[in-house]
Amino acid sequence: MILQILINGILLGGFYALIGVGFSLVWGVTNIINLAHGAIALLGSYITYYMFQNLHLDPFLSLPFSFILLFIFGYLIQRYIMNYVVKAQIFMLLILTFGIEIFLVNFMTTFFSADFRSVTPTYAGSSMEFAGVVVPYIRFVVFVICLVVTIIMGLFLEKTWIGKAIRATSLDLEAAMMTGISPRKIYSLTFALGSGLAGLAGSLLSLTQAFSPNIAGGLTLRAFIVAILGGLGRVEGAFLGGVMLGIIETLSSFYIGEGYKNAIAFGLMVFMLIVKPSGLLGRKYYAEVKH
Amino acid sequence: MINKKFLFFLLFVIVLVLLPFFVSGYWLRVLTQTFLFGAIATGSNIIIGFTGYPAFGNIAFFGIGAYVTGVLTTKYSMPFFATLPFCALTGIIIASLLGIPILRLKGHYFAIATVGVMEAIKELIDNMTELTGGGLGLTLPIMQGEPEYIYKFFYFVMLGSMLFSLLILFIISKIKQGYALRAIRVDEDAASVIGINTPVYKTFSWAISAGLVAITGGIYAYWLSYIDPNTVFGGTYPVKMFAMILLGGGTTVIGPMLGAFILELISEIVWSKFIAIHGMVLGLLIIFIILFLPKGLFETFKGGFSFKKLLSNLRENRL
Repeated sequence: MILQILINGILLGGFYALIGVGFSLVWGVTNIINLAHGAIALLGSYITYYMFQNLHLDPFLSLPFSFILLFIFGYLIQRYIMNYVVKAQIFMLLILTFGIEIFLVNFMTTFFSADFRSVTPTYAGSSMEFAGVVVPYIRFVVFVICLVVTIIMGLFLEKTWIGKAIRATSLDLEAAMMTGISPRKIYSLTFALGSGLAGLAGSLLSLTQAFSPNIAGGLTLRAFIVAILGGLGRVEGAFLGGVMLGIIETLSSFYIGEGYKNAIAFGLMVFMLIVKPSGLLGRKYYAEVKH
Repeated sequence: MINKKFLFFLLFVIVLVLLPFFVSGYWLRVLTQTFLFGAIATGSNIIIGFTGYPAFGNIAFFGIGAYVTGVLTTKYSMPFFATLPFCALTGIIIASLLGIPILRLKGHYFAIATVGVMEAIKELIDNMTELTGGGLGLTLPIMQGEPEYIYKFFYFVMLGSMLFSLLILFIISKIKQGYALRAIRVDEDAASVIGINTPVYKTFSWAISAGLVAITGGIYAYWLSYIDPNTVFGGTYPVKMFAMILLGGGTTVIGPMLGAFILELISEIVWSKFIAIHGMVLGLLIIFIILFLPKGLFETFKGGFSFKKLLSNLRENRL
């Protein structure tokens, strides 16, 4: 039984890692806590849902669309809204992203309705079993995709020029500018990447559980906890944080009760903030040094 | 003391006191709601505007106040007014206990930690079904009397709560301790160097703020006579409160209240008819305020209205 709970937790954790990695990247590089992250992820869920419902496209095939569309969306938001506020007091950004969240959630409620939706392809119910542990195929595939995307993300940041520019900007904005990096572009690209990853996570979410515009806040808070647990802007940290959160959530909802799941997650977050705000693997980032 | 501003304020209060005898029940409700937000924004401004700590989840104390009144009136059948001191006391105690660890955090971390606290308290209340009714909510005893009388009663109680918050804020802005808070906002390290015990002052300011917001929560609970965790914790309240503080100007005593009047009355007059897009408009309005009016309406248009000032506000914080 304990093994099954652990496996469930790890599978859930893969998803949390994916939703957290974009959030953590944006926060680490641009110092923006994007409260609209969950809402952007849900846009991805709706893209998958409508493509499945209207075009009968396999949900996994809609992943690139959801990534690209939300990448563009995120780029535009950062370029034409957020970049104008980046240098203001930090809570301005917090309220701004919350304003965007309110707008998006209400937009989805108005046009897509507040009903719970889910994407159910024909293979939805099947699962594999070994040594008494049941693993649904979809959850397993979702976990693998999350893992692969997170690894690609890490390689992208380590190896490519843009990735290096993003990391340089996160470490020292002025020095990065001196080497010819345009912070406006890098900020926009980072936010676009974060949104794209959120969109991917949202698309995968639609496969594993029912969703409605109202769960946006819960998704954002989970992304936040993952970022805090793992340390800002750290891809491997986000993965560790995601899996930890997944395991803690499944364990606590089994032993203490489903109702206390959220309270425990929030308690964990506040505790982590007080004890080690830089995260388990965190280092000082530019964003933190500045403030 | 008697200057132009004070006279204006006095006139404003007199108008508000006389108003219920001339307007309909609908407007009484709208104004009571406006006072509610005015009280929350003013109370929260002590920690947010004066001390400079963005307590995003300050609405937690609103919910706590609402539930203190709710539980005391239903389970212990206390009279309504007797519960209000308990609301304030609960808010002050919880804020003091939480303040010691949480107020060490700065900026984002503090803001989000308060949100975490708010959500955690909400979940706890949601799960304490025997005491609070959990997700089903709590029904309070309904006040006896004519509807006319009840409307006026809550109008004046809420007005009183708002004016009380204003008074406290005014006193804080005048005393030495208030200057200490503002020193913390400008530069916390410098403040501690000149001998201000910053942890004590920060905790003090959060506790006062929490007490005031909790009282408002208590009145709200008795007013609506039904509360549930989802309405009193969160929703759009925190961001509305912040928008009001920004609109009016967080460093002033009277700003947040004026912000509350502007935002609530605009929202009532302009788009109460368009329920479906109400939330979208609120979101857009907040984005607009942050982009064009981050310093507040009055600070921006000190020397008269012009579009140029809006644009220069927009450019000021550009990357």
